[in-house]
Amino acid sequence: MYILYSFRLAFQSLWREKWINLLSVLTIAAGLFMITLTFFVVYNIDLATKKLPARFSVMLYLNDGLSEQETGDVIALVKKNNAVEQTRYITKDKALQELKGVLKNADYILEGLGENPLPASIEIKLKKESVNIESVKKFAADIKKIKGIAEVEYGEQFLNSIHSIKGMAEAGSLSLIIVMSAGVIFVCYSAIKIAFYRRKEEIETFKLLGATRGFIRAPFVIEGSVLGISGGIASAAAAFAFYYVLFYKVTAAIPILKILVFPLETFPALLLCSLLIGIGGAVIALGRIRFS
Amino acid sequence: MIHFSNVTKFYEKQAAVKNITFSVEKGEMVFMTGPSGAGKSTLLKIIYLSEKPDEGSVTIAEWDLSKIKESSIPFLRRNIGVVFQDFRLLDNRNVFDNVAIALRIRGMLDGEIQEWVMEILKMVNLRHKADSFPLALSGGEQQRVVIARAIVGEPTILLADEPTGNLDSDTAAGITRLFKEINARGTTVVIATHNKELYRNTGRRVFRLDGGNMVGEELG
Ligand SMILES: Nc1ncnc2c1ncn2[C@@H]1O[C@H](COP(=O)(O)OP(=O)(O)O)[C@@H](O)[C@H]1O
Ligand SMILES: [Mg+2]
Repeated sequence: MYILYSFRLAFQSLWREKWINLLSVLTIAAGLFMITLTFFVVYNIDLATKKLPARFSVMLYLNDGLSEQETGDVIALVKKNNAVEQTRYITKDKALQELKGVLKNADYILEGLGENPLPASIEIKLKKESVNIESVKKFAADIKKIKGIAEVEYGEQFLNSIHSIKGMAEAGSLSLIIVMSAGVIFVCYSAIKIAFYRRKEEIETFKLLGATRGFIRAPFVIEGSVLGISGGIASAAAAFAFYYVLFYKVTAAIPILKILVFPLETFPALLLCSLLIGIGGAVIALGRIRFS
Repeated sequence: MIHFSNVTKFYEKQAAVKNITFSVEKGEMVFMTGPSGAGKSTLLKIIYLSEKPDEGSVTIAEWDLSKIKESSIPFLRRNIGVVFQDFRLLDNRNVFDNVAIALRIRGMLDGEIQEWVMEILKMVNLRHKADSFPLALSGGEQQRVVIARAIVGEPTILLADEPTGNLDSDTAAGITRLFKEINARGTTVVIATHNKELYRNTGRRVFRLDGGNMVGEELG
C-alpha cells in the first residue's frame, strides 16, 4: 500500500512550508474559536428561552358577581381551548390572601377596605408550543369572547422582546457561523491549493508514471486533515481556557453566571469539524484529477 | 502489441501526424525517425495516452484507447515505460527515490523497493550514484536514471524519445546497448530518434516520418 508513502509526502510538504502552515493553523484555530463562542452564546439564549414557557402564564379576570354555575361554565370553556395546558381558579378570597402573603407585614394597607376589591381570576399555563406571540395573541382574542371574562392579561411586551432578541441572536449567529466556516474552509483550501501548485510538475510526472487519483490525492488530503485538526486542537485548547476561566474564576466573582452552560460535547465536535473542514478544503482544492 | 490505424492528430487545425497506420509486434524493437517536427514525439505521446488522436484508432495490447475509461489510464500506463525527451526527473529527490517512485506508485512496500531499485541501478551502472541528486549527474547518467525508472516496473512496452539527444557518441552507444539488453528480455521497444547512428546496422524496422506523414519503412 502506498498510504505510508503518502504520509511521508504530506509531512515533507507540511514541513517545507512550516511557517505558512503555522499561520494557516492559527487562522483556522481563531475562526473555530469564534464559531465556538458564537455557538456558546446562541446555546445559552436558546436554553434560557426554552425555560420561559414554563413560567409564562395568562391571567383571565372574571366579571364580578358570577354565580358558581357561570364560573364553572367559563372554566369548562377555557379548558376546551387546545392551547391550554393547565388552569388554576383563584377566588376573590384567595386573591386577597395571596396579596396579603405578598405584602407580609405591610398588610395594614388593606385594612379599612370594606369589600374585597379583587376580582376572581383564572391563571392559565399554555402548552409549550403555544408560547409565542401569534398563538398567544390568537388565544387571548378567542378567550376574550367567552361571556363572563372581563379582561385578559399577559406580558405582551415581554413576550415580544424575548422573541425578537432570540430571533436576532439566532439569525446573527447563524450568519456569523456560516461566514466563519466558509472562511476556515477557504484557509484550508488555499493552503492545499498552494501546496498543489508547488508540486504541479511532480504530479504531472506521477500521472505519466501511472499514479492513480488516490495516490495523487492522498498526500494533500492528509495535509488538509493535519492542518484542520491542528487548528481544531488549538481552538479546543482556547475553548477550554475560556471554559475554565468562565466557570472557575469569573463565576466566583459573579455567581449569577453559574446559570450559563458550556456543553462538553463542544470539544469532540470541534475536533471532528476541524477534520472535516481540512478534508473538505483539500478535496475542493484538488478538484477533478484528469489524466488526459 | 501496438497498432495504429489511420491516426490523425491536430494541434490547432495543423495536423502533427496524418493518417498514420503501422503495427509493432510483441518483443520487437523499432525506430521512428525523421527530421525535427516530423511527428515522432506526437506518436509516442499518443501511445502513452498523453495525447488523444482526433481520427483513427489505436490499440495497445488488448486495449482500444478510444474505449478506455479515464480511471483505467494509470493501469495502462504502468505497462508502458517512457524515457521522456525532457527526462522529467524530480530534482529534489535523489537517484534512488527517482527510480523508486515508479514502484511506490504501484503500492510496493519499502523492503521490496530497496532490493528492486538497487538491482536496476546496477544494470544501468549507477549503483554508486544512488544518493546523488539529478543535477549533480552528467547527461548520460541522467539518461540512465530515466531509463532505470522506465524499466523498474517491468513494463511490456518501453518508449524512448530522443534518448541520445545530447550525448556524445560513446555514451550514446552505451545507451543503445542498454536498450538491446532490455529488448532481449522480451520488452517491446520503440525509439524515436533523428540520429542514424542509433539504428544503422541493427537489422530492425525503421519507420520514416516527414511532416506528419509516414513516408517509408526500411530495415536499419
Ligand atoms: N503541444 C503542441 N502544440 C502545438 N503544436 C505542437 C505541439 N506539440 C507538437 N506540435 C507540433 O506538431 C508537429 C510535430 O511535433 P513533434 O511530434 O514534437 O515532432 P518531432 O518529435 O518529430 O520533432 C510540429 O510541427 C510541432 O510544432
Ligand atoms: Mg520530438
